[in-house]
Amino acid sequence: MRSDAAIPANDIPEGLFELPLTEGRVTPGSLDDQVLSFPETKPPKQWYIGLAITLSALFTGLAFIGYTFFTGIGAWGNNSPVFWAFDIINFVFWVGIGHAGTLISAILFLFRKRWRNAIARYAEAMTIFAVMCAVIFPLIHVGRPWLAFWLFPYPNQRALWTNFRSPLLWDVFAVNTYFSVSAMFWYLGLIPDIASMRDRTTSKFRKLIYTALALGWRGAATHWQHYEKAYLLLAGLATGLVLSVHSVVSFDFATSVVPGWHMTIFPPYFVAGAIFAGFSMVVMVLVVVRETMQLKNLITMRHLDVMNKVILAMSCIMGYSYMMEGFTAWYSMNEYLHHSFMNIISGNYGWAGWLTISCNILIPQILWFKKARTSYFWMILVAIGVTIGMWFERFVIIVISLHQDYLPSAWRIYKPTMVDFGILLGTFGLFFTMVLIFARVLPVIATTEVKAILPGAQPSHHGDDHHV
Amino acid sequence: MADAHKPLLDRATALLAGPFLLGQRALGLLFLPGKGTLPEAPPECATPRITVTPPEHAIKRRG
Amino acid sequence: MKTRLPDHGPLETPRFWRTLEERIETPEAQQAAHDEFLPGVVPTQDDDVHGLPVQDGFSRRDFFGLVGAAAALAATVACDRKGQGTIVPYTKRPVEIVPGVANFYASAFQEGRHVYPVLVKTREGRPIHIMGNDEHPGVKGKTSPRAMADVLRLYDPDRLRAPRLEGRTLGWMEAETQFHKALQTAKNAGKSLLLISGAVASPSRKALLANLRTALPTLEHLAIEPASGDAAEEAAKASFGQPVDIQPRLAKSGVILSLGADFLNGENPEALAAWGTKRRLKNAHEAFNRLWVLEGPLTLTGTNADQRLPVAPSRLGAVAFALAKELVAKGLPLPPGADLSAIAAGIPQGTDLPAKVWSNLVQDLRQAGRKAVVLCGAQMPAEAHQAAHLLNAMLGSEAVAMQPAEPLATVKDLEAAARGMAEGRYAALVLWDVNPAYTFPRATAWKDAVAKVPFRAWIGQVPDEAAAQCQLLLPENHWLESWDDFTTAGADVLQQPTIGTLYDTRQGEDVLLGAIKALGGQAPASYHAFLKERWQQSLPTGTSFEQALHDGLLKTESKATAPAFMGSSVAAATRRAAESNPEGLELVLFPGFATHDGRHANNSWLQETPDPITKMTWDNPVSVSVQDAQALGIQEGDLVRLSVDDTTLSLPAVIQPGQAKGVLTLALGYGRNTGSVAKGVGVNAFPLMGLDPASANVRKGVRLAKAGGKKELSRTQSHHRMEGRDLVRSLTLEEYADHPQGHHHGPELVSLYEDQAFPEHKWGMVIDLAACTGCSACVVACQSENNVPVVGPEQVARGREMHWIRIDRYYEGELENPKVVHQPMLCQHCDNAPCENVCPVNATNHSPEGLNQMAYNRCVGTRYCANNCPYKVRRFNFLEYTAYKTEPETLVNNPEVTVRPRGVMEKCSFCVQRINDVKIRAKGESRSILDGEITTACMAGCASDAIVFGDLKDPKSKVSQLVANSRAYRVLEEIGVKPAITYLADLKNPAVEGGRHAI
Repeated sequence: MRSDAAIPANDIPEGLFELPLTEGRVTPGSLDDQVLSFPETKPPKQWYIGLAITLSALFTGLAFIGYTFFTGIGAWGNNSPVFWAFDIINFVFWVGIGHAGTLISAILFLFRKRWRNAIARYAEAMTIFAVMCAVIFPLIHVGRPWLAFWLFPYPNQRALWTNFRSPLLWDVFAVNTYFSVSAMFWYLGLIPDIASMRDRTTSKFRKLIYTALALGWRGAATHWQHYEKAYLLLAGLATGLVLSVHSVVSFDFATSVVPGWHMTIFPPYFVAGAIFAGFSMVVMVLVVVRETMQLKNLITMRHLDVMNKVILAMSCIMGYSYMMEGFTAWYSMNEYLHHSFMNIISGNYGWAGWLTISCNILIPQILWFKKARTSYFWMILVAIGVTIGMWFERFVIIVISLHQDYLPSAWRIYKPTMVDFGILLGTFGLFFTMVLIFARVLPVIATTEVKAILPGAQPSHHGDDHHV
Repeated sequence: MADAHKPLLDRATALLAGPFLLGQRALGLLFLPGKGTLPEAPPECATPRITVTPPEHAIKRRG
Repeated sequence: MKTRLPDHGPLETPRFWRTLEERIETPEAQQAAHDEFLPGVVPTQDDDVHGLPVQDGFSRRDFFGLVGAAAALAATVACDRKGQGTIVPYTKRPVEIVPGVANFYASAFQEGRHVYPVLVKTREGRPIHIMGNDEHPGVKGKTSPRAMADVLRLYDPDRLRAPRLEGRTLGWMEAETQFHKALQTAKNAGKSLLLISGAVASPSRKALLANLRTALPTLEHLAIEPASGDAAEEAAKASFGQPVDIQPRLAKSGVILSLGADFLNGENPEALAAWGTKRRLKNAHEAFNRLWVLEGPLTLTGTNADQRLPVAPSRLGAVAFALAKELVAKGLPLPPGADLSAIAAGIPQGTDLPAKVWSNLVQDLRQAGRKAVVLCGAQMPAEAHQAAHLLNAMLGSEAVAMQPAEPLATVKDLEAAARGMAEGRYAALVLWDVNPAYTFPRATAWKDAVAKVPFRAWIGQVPDEAAAQCQLLLPENHWLESWDDFTTAGADVLQQPTIGTLYDTRQGEDVLLGAIKALGGQAPASYHAFLKERWQQSLPTGTSFEQALHDGLLKTESKATAPAFMGSSVAAATRRAAESNPEGLELVLFPGFATHDGRHANNSWLQETPDPITKMTWDNPVSVSVQDAQALGIQEGDLVRLSVDDTTLSLPAVIQPGQAKGVLTLALGYGRNTGSVAKGVGVNAFPLMGLDPASANVRKGVRLAKAGGKKELSRTQSHHRMEGRDLVRSLTLEEYADHPQGHHHGPELVSLYEDQAFPEHKWGMVIDLAACTGCSACVVACQSENNVPVVGPEQVARGREMHWIRIDRYYEGELENPKVVHQPMLCQHCDNAPCENVCPVNATNHSPEGLNQMAYNRCVGTRYCANNCPYKVRRFNFLEYTAYKTEPETLVNNPEVTVRPRGVMEKCSFCVQRINDVKIRAKGESRSILDGEITTACMAGCASDAIVFGDLKDPKSKVSQLVANSRAYRVLEEIGVKPAITYLADLKNPAVEGGRHAI
């Protein structure tokens, strides 16, 4: 069937030729030993120190949430007209962080970008943790959180129904769907690996848990067949959700009448921003994981290089979006929109506007250089910058737009309180606590997927050593 | 045989439900007297109710 | 468990079976099947036979039943809500009280010399809302913001509930014995007694005091009104030889010149009503008046001026006399004996009055003649008052009413009294509803003097600074629990109780009646009897006391002749005016908008009502002019040190556009030491008052310096410019005649959706900005009607005030003398409401009558609606503001309006409870709703009738006709939300060259 002579190996043009995706000699057996041994070994001291820090942050946040429940939203800095502030900033921020994982694992899967295999698992786990952080906010930010379940359309004897015209309700559906599909997709991918761990572990306790979680996976061909099909279907489903969830989140703003929110560019702009922030967070975590867990041979510098390229591309899209916001403000001749845009660059919170622009547009431009893309210093600097910048971008959108809208008599300065910062800290605590625990109890790299991209894993007409 | 272990299940249910309900009551007792506990429950009147009496000799306009 | 299998097969097996035993029909099984549903069946003795499990006397079914019952009971007990109260019907229904039906009583409220005839709404016996008495020919159903808010004082938890002697609670019997003993001792010893009370505006009270003086000849009485302006009193005595109450009659005015007079600040509903009538133009050809304002501070009247000129108060006298001189030159005669020679002709020096404006003013006054009126602010120096008296006399003004009044003691008289006390001249001091310990400028001197008086009694409601210096405290009724009568222009007004006394309190007059009796005089049993007897003696035929009580008044013809102006007084005044030059900074002390002289400081509604000019709540910062602030480097909120003579206050400063250069203003009535609300709010400015009554409220040579530090201002508006947005339209009369809509062009609005249909009614509102003065009476009326919570200064500073209606105030033009506009802003009840479609739980939606309604119970508090409200009129309960309130505070709540808990959004409902009340009544009477029958609280409270509410579906309704007015526009119309509130553009009538003259 295949003609060996048709495509001579040395004639393959550069760029089409795929380099090995792992470094050094990796065999399926050594891969298992390397990745699946983490749950079997005692964590190092640094892990405990890290966990202590993240747990402290988590409990600080919980204490502040408790205080908020006790006193009311008045514990925060929110006021009239800034009725939404840290609560929704943090929500959008964390939903955004949660975009990279599914993008990497689903969209890149569909596009057959096989470099994704080594990092998909971790990125996807981060998605789930980030969405968990995000969903806290819609629940706690309502005035009467004990009635937050009214946001769900459930049959009740009062015959009360939710308002399907409200973008907040769309949010409820979008985020829930996204979370459940992401979690399913992640779990599905974990099954073969968990089965491997079940077979490897010597601890009875762990065996019990892994056995339950592995759902009876035995690696039979029919299992694989179903698995691949389900994985493909879920990937297709998740792909749509990657684009939809942040578009829907952006509708909260885009469908309103607030100048600075009412923009048609918001859905794509939000999605790009989310991927941007998500990739930065993944880069940050992967660098640490790669170094501390000795996974340099699996998560290679090439992965980081590619990730940084995506960050750079998204930074450019963000730059375009910012410029379009300015252009719309100018071209629409709408005085309210114009005022709202001028506030970003020169108003009370002009510093936040410029911080956003610097962190999201200016600093990432360094990634045009390959040297920066493969340097820890620069990529961490950019990643931290983007994380800060994207948080402030939401601050700019929400607080700056709200604090001066239509009637100048109602304008007011917003000042956050300790509680606002405490809860933000708490979500970071939750996120990194989960990240740390995940690193020790589940396979951080999808071994079965990486095995598929090991040299010689795929049938090849050129013998054993290279791939097309 | 199936009949034999049902009371066990029932007792277990009661065992769980009892403390739960008692706990709920205890929490209610614990939190109600203080200020700002149950967000929708106003505290008990600290002062005795004031008696409202109609005015003497006054003549109302309408009502 | 044992199971026996039968040894014979069944003849006929049942079709359905539950157990093997049943299938094969053993007798035991048949028995068991039969017994199954017997309650608590325990076949103990047949155990072996049945082979059923042995149970120890407790069946499963019983167990389940008990568990279920226990759970249900526990759940019921756990669900109990404390403090919910019980709803029980009256066992003995009080006469007149029908649950659910409001009773209205006519009564009257007094504040200084001002008397407000009011109508009090009571529900289940509790007064809950105050409005003006509609029968009164002057106020016509309107009243002042402070009168409306005073219902809250009835339920003040700080009220003294029983007499107290040296900190010990005692009964009235003992308290009166003590009181009478002290008076008797003083009388017997022939020593003087001092009674200090507020202004005597009641003829019956005057008669009672006369009786008391007969019984107690050594009694000395001082009536003090510390914030009412001693200079006005001094000037009236000089000009007319007697105290005179001067009130504008704006209905007859063509040209009004205000010398710092703030007659549009809501205090005077008659003036506001007349103002509104003059200003609500249907077209550009109607008669219009013109208001000139010369003033140092920016007052509410100044913001409504057609032409305002900043003049330092110390120069007002000179300016006004110069005007008189100009008018003489124009041919107006001087009153006999008047001499203006001390005044130089032309524009006085030290004022920046432009020559052209000056000549316009002179021309205007001359032309208007008898229709011109000059009004002087009570706090202005005496010579300015005298100049105003002279000008009115020269013009022969019809637009001013002058009534002889009961004299008021000035600060000089009080100082003399203090000296007398210090010298031991008085055997007893009785303080009745006054607080000189707080209002007397030399508080320490007062305290030392009071300590020298052997017996000190205090009659009042909330123990104050003065009560702390007295031995015997006698708790007094609130006026809503009391009797009294007053004389007003056009009617004699009655004050009757609207509720029985809440506590063991008495009316001050009753205490004095008791004293008369104890001293051997003749007195009826109660003040009610005293008053009734007096009335019945003088009632004209065909009237009855009962009818007067029902109406709240008895209409009278005004008989008093205006006192004659004495020209001889002018010369001295002109000399003082000519000499009065600004020296350094000049401080004007005026009564606080909310607190007046401090008597309302414990009223949280008033404390939280924003000052109409500065928009400050809960504080009295010193207002500094723009120029002075620049020179001294002062910024908004900076803490400053303000010194007059040897008194220094440390307080925050605000920059006040429009305030004359070199002028500082500070409100009195703050900085109280007592009262759970009043304590520590602002600073007490009384120590800065001068001891010369002629200029007590205007102090010269004031020093102001930055003290370092800043205070977060609890201000409800922090941005004061309109940013060129088309929010408040303001036209001059010329523009109105030429282009009624100015340069504004309505955008063409296209919608993809059909308009909502309103089958029966479509409620709408029109607000006439030309008539609205910004007095904020609507804010208080709404607060009282709709149970709007008070949040306190910290929360206001954070932007969390809860008012359903606010007055937006914008400055336009140069900062030194800006144009000021006011705009009441409340829920616009948009047909295409942006708040409605964003609520995820449908808690806010549109009624078929065009109301944007809130279902508080459904609201979870996402606050999305408030974000999406372009008018920012939605209010969120950030904290629990209401649930912890207990009696008596809760008694003021309107039972027809839900009290909102924490976490819930609220906003103006167009007083839906009043709409429904009228609808139900109309339905009961099988008729349609009349136009004007439904009044919202803000509309009813608006003295200038700037707010009109009604049915837009009815083409004949007033509101429909006003919507068609050429001044009509809607705020933010261009965003397509279709508000139900229409504004009518503001109108100004400045004197422009070649412009129209006022008629």
